[in-house]
Amino acid sequence: MRSGIDACVHCGFCLQSCPTYLTLEDENDSPRGRVLLMRSALEGTLAIDDPSLETHIDRCLGCRACETACPSGVPYGHLLEATRATMAEHRRLPFVARLILWTFARPASLTIAMALSRLLRATRIPVLLSRLKGRLGFAMAMLASTERSGMHGAYVARGDATRGTVAVLLGCVMEGLLGGANRATERTLVVNGYSLVDAPGQRCCGALHAHAGDLRGARELARANIVAFEGADSQFICVNAAGCGAMMKEYAHLLADEPEFAERAARVSARVRDVSELLVAAGPVAGATPVDATVTYDAPCHLLHAQRIADPPIAVLRAIPGLRLVPLAGAEHCCGAAGIYNLVEPDTSNAVLAPKLENIRATGAELVATGNPGCLMQIGAGLRRASIESRAVHPVELLDASYRSTARGAR
Amino acid sequence: MSGVTPSVATESERHPVDAALAARLAAIVGDRRVLFRPGELLAYSSDGLPGYLKQPSIAVFPGTRDEVIAVVRELARAGAPFVPRGAGTGLSGGALADGVVLLGLNRLSRILSIDAENAIAVVEPGVVNVALSRAVSAHGLHYAPDPSSQAACTIGGNVAENAGGPHCLKYGVTLNHVVALTVALPNGEVVTLGNAAGENDGYDLVGAFVGSEGCFGVALDVTVRLARNPQAVRTLLADFHSIDAGARAVSAIIASGLLPAALEMMDAGTIRAVEASIYAAGYPTDAAAVLLVELDGPIAGLDADVATVVRHCRDAGARDVRVARDEAERTKLWQGRKKAFGAMGRISSHLVVQDAVVPRTKLPQMLARVHDIAERYRVTVCNVFHAGDGNLHPNIGYDANDPDESARVHAAMREIMQACVDAGGTITGEHGVGIDKLPYMGAIFSEESLSAMCALREVFDPDRRANPGKVVPMHSCREWQMAPAARTGQH
Ligand SMILES: Cc1cc2nc3c(=O)[nH]c(=O)nc-3n(C[C@H](O)[C@H](O)[C@H](O)COP(=O)(O)OP(=O)(O)OC[C@H]3O[C@@H](n4cnc5c(N)ncnc54)[C@H](O)[C@@H]3O)c2cc1C
Ligand code: SF4
Ligand code: SF4
Repeated sequence: MRSGIDACVHCGFCLQSCPTYLTLEDENDSPRGRVLLMRSALEGTLAIDDPSLETHIDRCLGCRACETACPSGVPYGHLLEATRATMAEHRRLPFVARLILWTFARPASLTIAMALSRLLRATRIPVLLSRLKGRLGFAMAMLASTERSGMHGAYVARGDATRGTVAVLLGCVMEGLLGGANRATERTLVVNGYSLVDAPGQRCCGALHAHAGDLRGARELARANIVAFEGADSQFICVNAAGCGAMMKEYAHLLADEPEFAERAARVSARVRDVSELLVAAGPVAGATPVDATVTYDAPCHLLHAQRIADPPIAVLRAIPGLRLVPLAGAEHCCGAAGIYNLVEPDTSNAVLAPKLENIRATGAELVATGNPGCLMQIGAGLRRASIESRAVHPVELLDASYRSTARGAR
Repeated sequence: MSGVTPSVATESERHPVDAALAARLAAIVGDRRVLFRPGELLAYSSDGLPGYLKQPSIAVFPGTRDEVIAVVRELARAGAPFVPRGAGTGLSGGALADGVVLLGLNRLSRILSIDAENAIAVVEPGVVNVALSRAVSAHGLHYAPDPSSQAACTIGGNVAENAGGPHCLKYGVTLNHVVALTVALPNGEVVTLGNAAGENDGYDLVGAFVGSEGCFGVALDVTVRLARNPQAVRTLLADFHSIDAGARAVSAIIASGLLPAALEMMDAGTIRAVEASIYAAGYPTDAAAVLLVELDGPIAGLDADVATVVRHCRDAGARDVRVARDEAERTKLWQGRKKAFGAMGRISSHLVVQDAVVPRTKLPQMLARVHDIAERYRVTVCNVFHAGDGNLHPNIGYDANDPDESARVHAAMREIMQACVDAGGTITGEHGVGIDKLPYMGAIFSEESLSAMCALREVFDPDRRANPGKVVPMHSCREWQMAPAARTGQH
């Protein structure tokens, strides 16, 4: 931690990349300011329960845009995680956060929570309540935005199975509320020449826990996933949720101090790919059915800044005939979802979301493509509440639509 | 955040005067925008120059011009010294407030008007340098002064430091691009200096204010001249086996009468730091030095100029000279150069950076001197600099927790600076004096000159409350004894 902090030379290049600095205009809410707070906490000149530390570290989105701006290579994400873990030893997380982390750590409770959410969604109540002011209204809008009526028509995907085996991380929210995107992922992988393998026993990736400072919970989930994906023995592990992919690529770091798991974690991490990486490695196979829509792409932070994957999702969209891709100003800035941030820091989250929505409105696009469940729901909810005629979808869902009628893409 | 009053009560034990002042400032800008908890002042206790930590008593962040004026007037009423701050990227400690009020201008970030026809823009002081160029690019214009920190620093800070940048070789520094300013004088009076037409009537007060390092008042808005984008641009990267060969190429290019838009040099240590960073530009990591040369202007004749530069580089012994093929490659080459200082953080935990200027003809000898000094003190100097201007930025990385190394580093820096002064150069090209270069002022200015600077300051800030203790060593000001207000800022 010390050397990571020492790498900061105070140059300030990170300021303009930080969404919380841009919205709150206080350097305490900037990367440079937060690194200073962390340094003081580490050196003991600032108490770990100092309100200044808590306020400004809590307000960090963990979007890591500061890392892709920093010439000095300050490992901000790791510093934040370590600081939050230390803070968590001294205080309890807010109730909502504890409840969510508890649920996601347990397969049974997660299954029930997701089933209840789907039931609620089917009642159309969320649509009605999505306009309510405050957290409840926003949560309902998030749920309503996961509705995908008429979008997916299943087809039998066929491919030449020459590109190796893939096990897909199904994820919690992805499988629970956006299952259509998971099926689209599986089909497009097959069309692009991969063969699918099951990975039974897989769990939540642990990202929410790690970001909140619950490293114990995160490590437990990571160990379970390592065992599950070792069992699957596939060449690649495909992740279509940017946040989960970033987490799994960091299992090696997370478990570095556990002799039994360190090396195994490194091997699993090395197999992880974002779905767009796999698709682009295979072409991707161009779709045959035109998708007549104006689409803009918003980069999930954990894809662009954490995994440093910029072009592949765009290449996926370009493989779709008929689709008109328009650029989105500020696509590299966080939408404010940031895991459970939008539930625990709703004011800042909304302030960060506002310019994103305005930029989307300005493109006039009917669809916003982004590859992360948190972003899909945050942007989807925001669009709905702001009455913007646009919907958020996963890029793979669009590619899948272009493969549909032919049951196999044309070369 | 809770209201100001309750927490100030605990603070008031430390700074009895501040509580009432903080409350009055909060009445102007709102509770959230007045900081006084030690934890929240940390972020404002240093600027771009690592190694100094000075805590302000209060930090206040007005959001509008009217709020700035009201704050300055309130500070005047209270007789409180204050330090303006932009983005805090300064490299001379100019924005450090030692126990006095810090006045942040970062929230005043609107571009007030763009007159594309006359190539003039009016901006608030907190506008980030690159944001202005981006905003006018649709009109085929840009703001020419391009400090390497342009992605972060503010126009207000640029004005205060008379900032330069790679392209200032051809296009001139900040001073050449500011035509008018509205300034809140430290006593709260608002004055306009210069005019939008850029005509000089009477004394050049814009010239006096640009480079005044926050000591003459607060810039409220800045009217700048914009530059038309050149018809064509060529960017070249030449790499050399020795620094000396690179320096000779610089001299030859300048002597040929060509005026490149930019002429920058980086040495091996710098190249390696950049190549290890996220801004890796494809510089050859085995080179002793690279030159980044940019030529621009009408397309006719440009390629002949490129050929001339290539020839001079080769004659001086360049291993390879390549021309950027497209805009993407050009941007990459420049990003590497502009992020070079930041990338040095990878090498060591602490950095000192200097800003010396030497006559361009003496560049090869000077670089050899720097090398000798570094060797003698067993320190590693990385050089990254505006070669075309003879503006050197030697950086020395070290570990501040090692007292022996720290002592050697500072001794080496002093000797480097003395060598530059002896060669007929000066101690700051563009970063300003602030507090960091204060000890060198006596070496280049006579007591009379320093006293004249004090007298000029007297006109703008007779109480010496604006950025106290910076730029001119206090003992040089003959009237020092007569201005007790400023002394409260000196701990
Ligand atoms: C990586 C890096 C590269 C750099 N490269 C260059 C370069 O190429 N060329 C160069 O010239 N500089 C360079 N600098 C130095 C620095 O960026 C400049 O001095 C810049 O002009 C400072 O702007 P700022 O907004 O950060 O000002 P600050 O650092 O906040 O303040 C600088 C000074 O300006 C005063 N000030 C700020 N705003 C106002 C205002 N509105 N009214 C009155 N006074 C004000 C402050 O009191 C202080 O004295 C570099 C710095 C870094 C970290
Ligand atoms: S960009 Fe990196 S080195 Fe520079 S201030 Fe930010 S964190 Fe520190
Ligand atoms: S992670 Fe995001 S919000 Fe946090 S400091 Fe970095 S850029 Fe800012």
